[in-house]
This record gives sequence, structure tokens and C-alpha cells, in this order.
Amino acid sequence: MIEVFRALQERLHQTPHLLRLGRLFSETVLIEVDGQEFYLTFEKGRLVGVVEGPSRKTPWRFALRTDADALRKFWQSRPAPGFHDIFGLVKIGRGRIDGDILCLVKNLRFFKEVMALARPQTGGAA
Amino acid sequence: MSIEPIIGQYVTVTVAGAPRRIYFESAGQGRPILCLHTAGADTRQWRHLMNDAEITAQNRLIAFDMPWHGKSLPPEGFQTEEYLLTTEAYIETVLAVADALGLERPVLAGCSMGGRIALQLAALQADRFSGFIAIEASDFQPAWYDIDWFHRPDAHGGEMGAALVSANISPFAPEVERWNTLWMFMQSGPGVFRGDLSFYTRDDSLIARLPQIDTGKTPVHLIVGAYDLTCTPEDAKRTADAIPGATLAVMDELGHFPMSEHPAGFRPFFLDALARMPARAAKAA
Repeated sequence: MIEVFRALQERLHQTPHLLRLGRLFSETVLIEVDGQEFYLTFEKGRLVGVVEGPSRKTPWRFALRTDADALRKFWQSRPAPGFHDIFGLVKIGRGRIDGDILCLVKNLRFFKEVMALARPQTGGAA
Repeated sequence: MSIEPIIGQYVTVTVAGAPRRIYFESAGQGRPILCLHTAGADTRQWRHLMNDAEITAQNRLIAFDMPWHGKSLPPEGFQTEEYLLTTEAYIETVLAVADALGLERPVLAGCSMGGRIALQLAALQADRFSGFIAIEASDFQPAWYDIDWFHRPDAHGGEMGAALVSANISPFAPEVERWNTLWMFMQSGPGVFRGDLSFYTRDDSLIARLPQIDTGKTPVHLIVGAYDLTCTPEDAKRTADAIPGATLAVMDELGHFPMSEHPAGFRPFFLDALARMPARAAKAA
């Protein structure tokens, strides 16, 4: 899983419009996959850290908790209904979002498009 | 270069005792179809169908921007008013526009909150219409988000609203139309999407009225997209099941804004819906 996030990091840094959209986003996001923690640290839109947990010392702003199968479906080029969006995962009971939700919503386009970068075809919204 | 057949005009109607300057578009001739846009958007959602020569050969499509939306101004004094759409004001507006334009028992086609009010009108004012096409419409949807997110001084409500509703757009939607659809939400005036959602997520008065709808007099056809997280196929089915005689079509590859996000995918479903409506409006009983 950490390889996917590192690939996503590489793609982000080659995606100018996302770096522009995320220029005010400097936060750590927790992605929990089947209980395994990954801390993604953003600095002015750049993903500067991808660290595997567990860690009790790493503060995070918001978290997306899901499972590997759901993410695999989410990362298909045309996901099935519910797997097509992070809020879809929540709606179908395959994901949970918690923490500072307002921070997520303020940066929602940026974060959704970053998460969607692992899809075979990128450029659309998550 | 080509000039589209859509004609845009303005009409002033009275709602809640005060004037509203309404922008409306029309195209085609024949059976009138009055089209209602979703929350946080405007008439542009209908432009693909209004530019469809096969549809407009026998149907006159009319779409209007609700007050506060698109090119319709908010009422005088809006600067100190909190915009909160109500069922009553919405019904009054639709009927006022239909009257002002001299529409005789049009088919009413509405999407999302427009579909919700179409079903309200099917229950309360059926004699004014010849049939109802309720798209992405359900009896009631409590919010799965905080509507206050979309109207606050420290963030752009339109950008946040667009990012949220993108969850309701199908991955089959052409990229250009996905973003044209989202652009309308990005342009929405401050507090307007929130005010629409207040109506959409807090007024559950339709639930008790659904069994009153007489589809023997005015047909009701619901259409729902599988990628709609806000009004899911289950929500639409529950709603259709509560209306004796209502029909339902599920679109596997579409979302919450089908006429806008994926015009080609929606077209056959809209044609099917039109075929279910009376060919010519009968006189009201």
C-alpha cells in the first residue's frame, strides 16, 4: 500500500494544477487501510512525507479509514457506484472520515483529486 | 460557427407579494415541457435537451432560473435577508412562471430539488400540469453533510459545493460536461446552495402527500442514476412505490445531474419519459 501512496506523491508533484490548488494546504492526513496507518504530510500542496504507522506521536488533521479492497475499487478508472468517491465509500459503509471535517471540505477538491491520482486515467474529480 | 435555437428572455412575476425578475429560456414548438434546475445551479443544465432538434420538433422546452439563481435577481432587500427556500415559495414561483408564460398544462420536468417540487405539485396542483417527470427525486433526503459549510466568510461556498456535489457525478460522464456542471455550482451566489439545501434536506412534507397523487389523471415517471449518492436508486424506488401507478427508470451509468453531466447518456431516458406523458394536454377536470 505504501508504494501506491509514494506513486501518488510522484504524480502529485507532476500535476501543476493540484500544486496550485493545494498551495494553502499544509496538513497531515491519516489514511487507515484495514487498520494499518499511513500518514501523508502535505506542505503547501506538496506531499513531503509518506510514513507508515502506527504512531501515537503524529498529529493529523483529518482521517480517511477504509479497507484495501475498497481502495482497489476506488482506484479503478471507472469505479462502481459508491466506490467512485471518498464520500461514496462512507455512504456504502466502506469508509469513515473523521477529524477536522471542515478542513477537509475547504480543501475537498484538492484532496479528492490527490486521492484519485492513483487511478489509471487521471484528471477528473474523485 | 452556429447560433443555437435557445431564446433567452425575462419576465417579472409576483411571489410572496413582491416582484421577481425571472430569466427563462425556451426552444421548440408543440407540447410545453417546463424544466426545473437542481439546487445551486441554473437553466444551463437543460441546454443540451433544448438544443436537441428531435426533441424540440414536437416539444417546447422552457426552463427558468429560480430567483437568486443564474440570471434571475434576488428580490429587493436580499442583502439583509437569509435565503431559505420553502416548499410554499417554490410552488408559488413555478405556478407564477407557468401563468406568466401562458403555459397550458405543461409537463413538469424537474431534477433533484426540482424533482421534489414536481412531486409536491403532482400531489397539490395536479390540474395545472399534464404529467410529471421527476429526476433524481425522492420523498425526503436528510443531509449527510452540514449545509452551513456552504455559506461562511472564510471559504468559497461555491468551490466547496462543487467539490461536494462532484461525488454525485458518474465516472462515465464526459470530462467536459462534468466540469461544465460543476462550474454552475462554483458560480452560485453566496448562501444560495445552502438555502436550497435547507428546503431539500429539512422539509419532509412530501412523504405524507405521495399517496394522494393520482397517476390516472397525471402520469408520474421517476428517473434515477446509479451514481447518485444524494438520491440513490433505493430512495427513488421507495418514493415511486409510495405513488400508486408511478413508474421508475434506473440509469446505470449516470449520476445526480444527468441532463447536464452526460447528455447523450440521459437522452434515451428523457425520450422514454416524454413518451409516457400525454401527447397533448387535456383540459383540466
